[in-house]
Amino acid sequence: MLTILFKHYWLENKRSPGFYRNLAVTIFMGLIALYFVALFVLLGFMLPGILTEAVPDSSPVDLFHGGLLYTVIALLFFRYLMQPLSRINLQAYQVLPIKRRTLVNYLLLKPLLNPANYLTLCFVIPFAISGIYPVHGVAGAFRFILSVLPLILFNTLLAPLMKRQFNNLLTGMVILLVVAAVPALLEYFGILSLFSASRQLFGMMTSTSLLWMTAWLLPLCAFLLNRLFFARNYYPETFEKKKTWRQADTKRFTFMERFGKIGELISLEIKLVMRHKRTRSTLYTALLFLLYGLIFYTNPVYKESPGWLLFVAIFLTGTGMLIFGQWIINWDGSHFDFLMTRNIKTNTYIRANYFLLLALCILSFIATTPYFLFGTKIITIHVAAFLYNAGVNIHIYLYSASFNTKRLELSKGSSMNMQGVSYKNFIVMIPLLLVPILLVSLFSLFSASHIALVILSVLGLAGILFREPLLKISEKQFLNRKYALCTGYRNKE
Amino acid sequence: MQTNDLTTHLSSDHSTTVPVQDDLSDMIITANHLKKIYGGITVLDIPFVGIHNGESFGLVGNNGAGKTTFFRLILDLIEASSGEVKIEGQKVARNDGWKPRVGSFLDEGFLIDFLTPDEYFAFTAKLYNKSEGDMAAFLESMQDFFNGEIVGSGKLIRDLSKGNQKKTGIAAALLGDPQVLILDEPFTALDPSSQIRLKRMLNTLKTSRNMTMLISSHDLNHVTDVCERIVVLEKGLMVKDISTGEETLRELEHYFAV
Repeated sequence: MLTILFKHYWLENKRSPGFYRNLAVTIFMGLIALYFVALFVLLGFMLPGILTEAVPDSSPVDLFHGGLLYTVIALLFFRYLMQPLSRINLQAYQVLPIKRRTLVNYLLLKPLLNPANYLTLCFVIPFAISGIYPVHGVAGAFRFILSVLPLILFNTLLAPLMKRQFNNLLTGMVILLVVAAVPALLEYFGILSLFSASRQLFGMMTSTSLLWMTAWLLPLCAFLLNRLFFARNYYPETFEKKKTWRQADTKRFTFMERFGKIGELISLEIKLVMRHKRTRSTLYTALLFLLYGLIFYTNPVYKESPGWLLFVAIFLTGTGMLIFGQWIINWDGSHFDFLMTRNIKTNTYIRANYFLLLALCILSFIATTPYFLFGTKIITIHVAAFLYNAGVNIHIYLYSASFNTKRLELSKGSSMNMQGVSYKNFIVMIPLLLVPILLVSLFSLFSASHIALVILSVLGLAGILFREPLLKISEKQFLNRKYALCTGYRNKE
Repeated sequence: MQTNDLTTHLSSDHSTTVPVQDDLSDMIITANHLKKIYGGITVLDIPFVGIHNGESFGLVGNNGAGKTTFFRLILDLIEASSGEVKIEGQKVARNDGWKPRVGSFLDEGFLIDFLTPDEYFAFTAKLYNKSEGDMAAFLESMQDFFNGEIVGSGKLIRDLSKGNQKKTGIAAALLGDPQVLILDEPFTALDPSSQIRLKRMLNTLKTSRNMTMLISSHDLNHVTDVCERIVVLEKGLMVKDISTGEETLRELEHYFAV
């Protein structure tokens, strides 16, 4: 029975109208995945060397064992954000003579069959070869892998349970942060060390013959907890609660009314972001991305590479705009006929989208002002990047939005969902990011990257000053593509 | 045998239902040489049809006859392969001018499913520059039709039943005081009382506001009750154009009988 369900899942995917249209995206994503696999394998082999260099007075094996439990928490956090919930069309199967247990098992085991969930193994196995094998021999390396694998399974099973348990994404994030922060603080004040506990525990598993089996209790527990969850929530309605919205919730954006129809349309988009799972989790991810700069600006290697700095600056100062801009217009797919038949001038609609992106751009810029503490160089790069985002990139997004005719399904899936994305979204990245980076890199060869920054700023200012004629171009493009959009959005995938 | 039957059937109808060509200036909607072709198959082919101001125009036909296609062409949601639609003398294609005067509800694409009905009405009212007072009065007049549900429930439209979604969409189509109202199968998914209320409401709007209505339906009873003119579409062609009279229902029933 279970195999039939998995077969149906395969057919469902294969027969979805998006499958072949999405092939380019799938191939592209496959290449990216291969890149990460290669990176992980390489890192796994090099890790013993890196660790010895970084912390010369303890052995890499000890360090790895010690960090394991923290890593499990960190990866659980990631999975909680990224791993999509497996679904089944329950009503269609529930009425058939299929045991409920089979359906639940299907839901629970599906993520375990997804190779993407084992990406960490690409890192663990090379480390077992390069780090564990020289110390503990072949048997030790196998024991090591066999004690780490259940941790991966544990995370893969626990993340969906948390997602189902907490209707609100934020609750789970806070809980995980607390779970990570408490031992970290205890460790910091020297009261209790999770690190040394982890080191001893996993050290024993690697060195003694059968102790690794105990680690398998973890995924077993997670599986049983999941089963318990479904036993207690027999009917889907109990854990997919329909929220009712009080008047107070809905009055929150009344200040937008002052801006007339454009304000109304923008507040509609804000509600759209807040009331769909996919956009909401993307919003939280976007907030995390704002911290991205800390990795780059603190690293001296990147300080000397203006191209990299500009890439980071464009990304940071435009986080919200760049992330949500790729969905603009497309995310109106489900109510597009409404927007096209009501008393809204096309010009008003385009301008509303423009001002929404501009507002996101300005908000992201303000949110990244703390990075100004890294010095004047960062300030100038940030200002140039902001102007380029606001003046050029917004127009690129608006113009190109109508090329993607796929309907975005917003109520399904998490932040790393590729549904409704086409190769066109990636092509847009060329003028968006690549051109300015190449420009700056080129000028920096002659140590004149400041000239490139001036050019980018001027382009950006021009885009802001001449926005009306530029918006007219986008409007015309939109009208040309209108019927293709209407037809495309009517196709549910 | 079957096809032969059909062709004689069609040609005999054509002779009896020559569309009445009268004064164009009185027509609020005209379609000229309107054709829609999908992948080589003609799904709609209307040489000419004109709808008078204040006329209630019923569209019937089996699935795939082209009813929704015709409505989408009028609303400029698909591009005509040839020909054009005009509302009040303006071409609808790639034009915003007709939008303030036309209210429409075809399917769930006309709803914004992540809003509550209250928010949806408020948003629509804003688009038609209605004051809060206007909207309150409008919702008051809809209380009967809503049957005490919908307004103030706090549920999102996506969580409403199909019938209540339909009511929400129909009400929103009326919110802007349109001169032209276009509804695609408004009676399906409604409970019997609501169907009767809707019929009564449409008849009132017709007499009190002289609203032009285009209504498609599979329910021959309802459509003959509401519409003074009925057009039958079959495989994209207008095969009948009748002014509703006492014999209309029987004529239609006979036509669709298998």
